[in-house]
Amino acid sequence: MKPTTDEPTLPPTALLASLWQLRRFIGPHRRGLYIGITAFGIARIFEAMVPVLTAVSINRMVDGDFDVTYPVLGIIGAVLIRYCVVSFARFSVRRVALKVSYDLRQAFFNKLQQQGSEFFSQFSIGDMMTRAVADISLIQRLISMGTILLIIMVYATVVGFGFMLYYSPWLTLLLLPPMPLVFFYAQYSAKAMGEASAQVQDRLSDLGTHTQENLSGIRTIQAMVQEENEIARFASTNQAYADVFYEQGRINSAMSSWMPSLAAICSLTILGYGGSQVLDGTLAVGDFVAFFMFVNMVVQPFRVAGFIVNLFQRAGVASRRLFEVFDRPAEITDEPGDEAPVELAGSIDIRELSYRYPGATTKAIDNLSLGVAPGETIAIMGRVGSGKTTLLKQMVRLIDPPKNSVFIDGHPVADYPLTQLRTQVALVPQDPFLFAEPLKSNITYDDPARSLEKIWEAATSADLKDTISDFPDQLDTLIGERGVTLSGGQKQRATLARGLIRHAPILILDDCFSAVDTETEEHILGELKRLRQQQTTVLVSHRVSTARHADRIYVMDAGRIIESGRHEDLLANQGYYAELERVQREGGEEDDLERLRVNS
Amino acid sequence: MNTTQKKNPRDYAMFDADISGAVLNLKLLRRLLKWLVPYKASLALSTVLVLIASTLQVMLPIIISLVAIDHIIRGESSSDSPDFGLIDFNSNIADTLGIPELVAACLLYGAIQLAWAFCGHAHRMTLIGPVINGLRDLRLDLFRHLETRPSSFYDRVAVGRIMTRVTNDVEALYELLRGLGTLVGEFVPFFVALAVMLAIDVQLTLALLLALPILAMVTYLFRRKTRFLFRQTRQTLSNLNQSLQENLAGLQVVQLSDRQQHNLDRYTQINEKNRLFEHRLARVETLYGAFNESLAQIAIGLILYYGASQLMNITMTVGEVVLFTQFVTMLFHPIVVLGEQTNILFRAMASGERIFQALDWDEIIHEPSQPVALPSRLRGEVEFRNVSFAYDATMPVLDDVSFTIAPGEKLAIVGPTGSGKSTLIRLLGRFYDFDDEQIFLDGLDLNRIHSADLRRRVGVVLQDFHIFSGSIYDNIALGNPKVTLERAIEAATIVNAHDFISQLPEGYHTPLTERGQNLSQGQRQLLAFARVLAADPEILVLDEATANIDTETELLIQEAVERLTKGRTSIIIAHRLQTIQEADRVLVLEQGRVAEIGSHEELLAANGLYATLHSLQFQSDADSLPETSSAS
Repeated sequence: MKPTTDEPTLPPTALLASLWQLRRFIGPHRRGLYIGITAFGIARIFEAMVPVLTAVSINRMVDGDFDVTYPVLGIIGAVLIRYCVVSFARFSVRRVALKVSYDLRQAFFNKLQQQGSEFFSQFSIGDMMTRAVADISLIQRLISMGTILLIIMVYATVVGFGFMLYYSPWLTLLLLPPMPLVFFYAQYSAKAMGEASAQVQDRLSDLGTHTQENLSGIRTIQAMVQEENEIARFASTNQAYADVFYEQGRINSAMSSWMPSLAAICSLTILGYGGSQVLDGTLAVGDFVAFFMFVNMVVQPFRVAGFIVNLFQRAGVASRRLFEVFDRPAEITDEPGDEAPVELAGSIDIRELSYRYPGATTKAIDNLSLGVAPGETIAIMGRVGSGKTTLLKQMVRLIDPPKNSVFIDGHPVADYPLTQLRTQVALVPQDPFLFAEPLKSNITYDDPARSLEKIWEAATSADLKDTISDFPDQLDTLIGERGVTLSGGQKQRATLARGLIRHAPILILDDCFSAVDTETEEHILGELKRLRQQQTTVLVSHRVSTARHADRIYVMDAGRIIESGRHEDLLANQGYYAELERVQREGGEEDDLERLRVNS
Repeated sequence: MNTTQKKNPRDYAMFDADISGAVLNLKLLRRLLKWLVPYKASLALSTVLVLIASTLQVMLPIIISLVAIDHIIRGESSSDSPDFGLIDFNSNIADTLGIPELVAACLLYGAIQLAWAFCGHAHRMTLIGPVINGLRDLRLDLFRHLETRPSSFYDRVAVGRIMTRVTNDVEALYELLRGLGTLVGEFVPFFVALAVMLAIDVQLTLALLLALPILAMVTYLFRRKTRFLFRQTRQTLSNLNQSLQENLAGLQVVQLSDRQQHNLDRYTQINEKNRLFEHRLARVETLYGAFNESLAQIAIGLILYYGASQLMNITMTVGEVVLFTQFVTMLFHPIVVLGEQTNILFRAMASGERIFQALDWDEIIHEPSQPVALPSRLRGEVEFRNVSFAYDATMPVLDDVSFTIAPGEKLAIVGPTGSGKSTLIRLLGRFYDFDDEQIFLDGLDLNRIHSADLRRRVGVVLQDFHIFSGSIYDNIALGNPKVTLERAIEAATIVNAHDFISQLPEGYHTPLTERGQNLSQGQRQLLAFARVLAADPEILVLDEATANIDTETELLIQEAVERLTKGRTSIIIAHRLQTIQEADRVLVLEQGRVAEIGSHEELLAANGLYATLHSLQFQSDADSLPETSSAS
C-alpha cells in the first residue's frame, strides 16, 4: 500500500464535496446505514451496562450485601444482547460497503467500455486499473471501517462521558486534559509510521529491482567473473533495507510504550482524585472501579481519530478520481437516424474530410475525398503518420468524423446504429491484440456461438491451419501468458481470421501483413480475392506486392492523397509509389527505404 | 560417451512448485535459529527485559486493587496477598516522605508505568536488532548462493521465481520472527498474571482457564473459515481486475466486435461472485468480531458472582475481586493474538522451506580438484575434439563437433537457430559441465582449468550485455585494478566509444543505470567492446547483435570489431555479411554438426548449406529475415 504522505490532501470543503458525490451510489443502500447507526447506539447503551452493573455489584459487596445474582444476570444479559445487536450493526454497514463497491465496479467497467481513443490518450490503462483497484477499495474501506469507527467513536464518547458525569462530574472534567495529548500523539506517530513504512517500501523495492536486474544479467556477471563485486554491492542494498526496517521497528516499539503511558495519565487521575473522593466518602468503591472501565471506552476513540480522518481524506481523493471517469460523457454516441439501410451494399464515400486530434497543431486528415464502389478492393499506402489509420478508424466510428464527411451506402456513418455499423464494416486493427482465452474464442470473438466448422474455415483462409494443428489443444489452445505465446505473424493471422470470419460487406485491413512473410501473404491475398469477390475490401500496406492487386491504390501523405490509380498508372507516374516499387523489387536494404523516407 | 549420464537429473519443476507448509516445521525453525546465533547476547538481554516488563505490567492493576482499594481505602489487606511487597513499599514511601498513602500510590503507579515503558521498548529493540541482522545475513547468504549457481540452473528456472525467494520469502520470515516476538510479549505477562491469580484463588483461576479452550476453538474455527474466504475473495478480486485490464487493453477489438454487453455480463458474473464471498466473509467476521470482548465481559460477571460468595466467607477481598476483573483481558488476549498469528506463521513456514530449498540447491560447475595455473600469456589455440553435448538426455545439441582455431585466427560461426552456435561458445566459457578431453586451450584440457581463471582469458560479448551500475569507467574496468582510467580511455578510443563517452555530461564518470537507459543500443555495444578490450583476453567470443542499429553506428561497430579481433583468436556468431567476409574461416553448423568449414569464397563455391543461408539471409526482402531475428 502506498504511503499516505504522498497523496494530495483535500481542503475540508473540497473533501466534503468529493464525498458528497458518492450519494448517487450510497443512496440506494442508505437503509443499511440507518439501521447500522441505530443499532450501534442501542449496543453502546447495553455495553455501558457492564461497568454500571459491576459498580452496583461491588457497592453491594462493600455494603455487606453479598447477593449479586441480579446484577450479574444483568451483565450477562446485557452482554448477550449487545453481542447480537453490535454484530448485526456491523454487518449491516459492511453490506452497504459491499453493495456500493459492487455498483462502483459495474459503473466503472461500463463507463470505460464507452470510451475511445481520445479518452485513452489522456488516461493510461495503468491509471484506470489503479482507480478500479485502489480507489474503489478505499471507498469500501471508508464505509466498512471509517463510518463504523466514526459511529462507535461518537457513541463511545457521548455514552462514556455521560455515565462518568453522572458518577462524578469533577473527576470527569479532570480526565479531559489528557485526551488531546492522546489524540496528537496518535496523529504524530501515525505520520512517523507512514513515513517509515514508505521508506521501507522504497528500500524493499530497491532490493527487488536490484535482485531482478542482477539475475537477468547473471550470464554476463559470471562471464566477467564479477560475482564477488556484485555480492558486495548487494550487501549494501541489503544493509540499507535493514537500516530503514530497524528504524520502522523503533518507531513502532516506541509507540507501543508511550501510547499506553499517555492513557495511563487518566488512570493516575482516577487513582489520585477518585481515590481521595472515595476516602472522603463522596464516591462509592464500585463507582471508582467503574471509572477505570469507562475511561478505556473513552480513550480508544481518541487513539483512532487520526486514522479515521485519514480514511476520509484518502476516500475523498479516491472519490474525486473515480468521478473524473464517471462524469465523462461517452465518447461515441449512438443516436441513429431512421433512414439508413439495414443491409449494406458496401460503398464508401469520403467527402472533403478534415480531422485534427484534440490538442494537435496539424491536421491528421486534410480535406480528403475518395470513393469506393461496392465489391471493389482498394489499397492505401503511405508513410507512418500519414493518416491512414485515422482515416480507417473514422469509417467505423472509433473516431467520430465531422458531420457529413464519411458516408457508407450514401448515409453518414453516424446515421447507422453503432452495432450495425461495426458488425457490417469489419476493421482488423494494426496491433494484433489477442485475449487470454482459447484461440477459438479469439477468432469468433464477435459471436461466440459460431460453429467450429466456420472457425476452421476462417483460420484456413488466414493460413493458420497448420499452426493450429501443431498446438496440442488445437482450437482450444489457451493464448497468452498461461497458455501459448504466438509469434507476431501468428498473431496477425489470428486477428485476420477474426475479421474474415465475419464475412462483412466491408472489410478493412489495417496493415495486417507486416509480420507475415511474403509467401504466406500471397496465399492469404489469393484467399481474400476468392472469398470477397462481391464485397468491398480496404487494405493498408507498406508492401507494393500487397497493393498491386487492388482495383485502385491511394498514396497518402500528411493527411492528403498524393497519388491514386491502378498499379500500372502509378508506376508510370514516377512518384513515391514507383520509387517504393523500385526499392522493394531490388530487394533493397533497410537503408534505402530509410533514405527514401527522409528524402520524399 | 554421454555427457548427461553423470548429471543427476534434476527436477526443476520442484523449484517452481507451490510449497504449502501447513505444518509447524520445527526443524525449519531450528535451522533458522542458526542465523540468530551471532546475536545471542542481545537475545538473552531481551529475554531478561521481557520478564521485567511483564512483571511491571502486572503490578499496575495490583496497585489499584490491592494497594489502593484493599489497603488504603478499606484497610483489610489479607497478609498472604501476592502484592510483590508493594503494600509495604508504598507505606514506606509514605512514611519516609511524609505524604498520604494515596499520594505515594500515585507516585508508585507513575514510576512503574514509566519503568514498564522503558523496559518494554528496550525488550523489543533488543529483539528486533538480532532478527533484522540475522535475516539480513540470511538474505545475503541466499544471494551469494544464487549468484554462484551455474547457467544450467538459470536456463530452467524463471528469474521471477528466484527473485521472490530473495524478496518476498525472506520478508515472510521477518513476519514470522516478528510474530513470534509478539507472542512472547503477550504470553509472558499471561503467565505472570496467572501466577498471581493462582496465589489468590485457585478455584476461580481454573474456572477462568476453562474459557480458554472455548476461545481457542472459536478462534481456530474462525481463522480456518476466513482463510478460505479470504483466498476466495482475493482470487475473485484478481479475476475482476484481470478481466478489466484485458478489456481495456483490447477495448478497440471489443468495440469493433460489438462485444460490450457480452463482456459486461461476464464481468458482472465475476463481480457477483466476489460480492458473494465478501458477503460471507463479512458475516463470519462480524460474528467473531465482538465474540472475544463479550466472552471477557461474561467472565467479569462470573468473577463478581463467585467473588461475592468468597467475600462472604472472607476468603477474598474486594480488591482481589477487582484485580481478577482487570486480569481478564490479559488472560484472553494472547489466545486472540495467537489466532491472528497462526496464518502468518504457516505462510512463513512455506517461505522458509522455499528459501532453504534454494540454499540447498547444490547444482554447480565442477571445478578441477587441482586446477592448472595458466601461463601469463596464452598462445590462443582452441581445439574442439569430438565434442558432443546435451542439456538434457533427450535432445543432443552438439554432435561430434571437431575443429581447431589457430592462434590469432578469426572464425565466424553461422547456422540456423537451434543449430548449436550459442552452445558452442557457452562451452568455451565453461558455463556448463561437459566431459573431459573434449575442448582444449593451447592443448590443455579445459576441464583442468578453474572456471574463473578461464573466464578471465576468454572475453565474451553477449548479445544482451549487462550494464553494471556505476560510472562508464566502472563499467569498463569492472574492478580490475590494472585497468586505469588511461587504459580505459585507450580501449574506448580503439573501439570508437571515446567520442560518445566524451560527449556525455560527466565523460567517463557519467553514472549508468543498470538497464543503461541513457545509452543507445549501439553505444552499449561499443561500451561492451571497450570493456572486453580493456581486459585484454587472449580469446574473444562475440555474439553479434542483431538489433537495429543506425547506419552510422553500424559502421563504427564494424570497425571496432575489426580492431578488436586483430591478432586475437576470435569466435564470432555472425549475423552480418561483412563480418563473415572478414573472417578467416566460416564454420557452418547444422543440427549440432559441422556441416561445412572454410573461407567465405570456398563455401560459396561449394554451393552447399552456406550458399543457401547466404542467399536467404542477405538477399531476400529485409522484412522477412527468416532466421536471425529470433536467434536466442
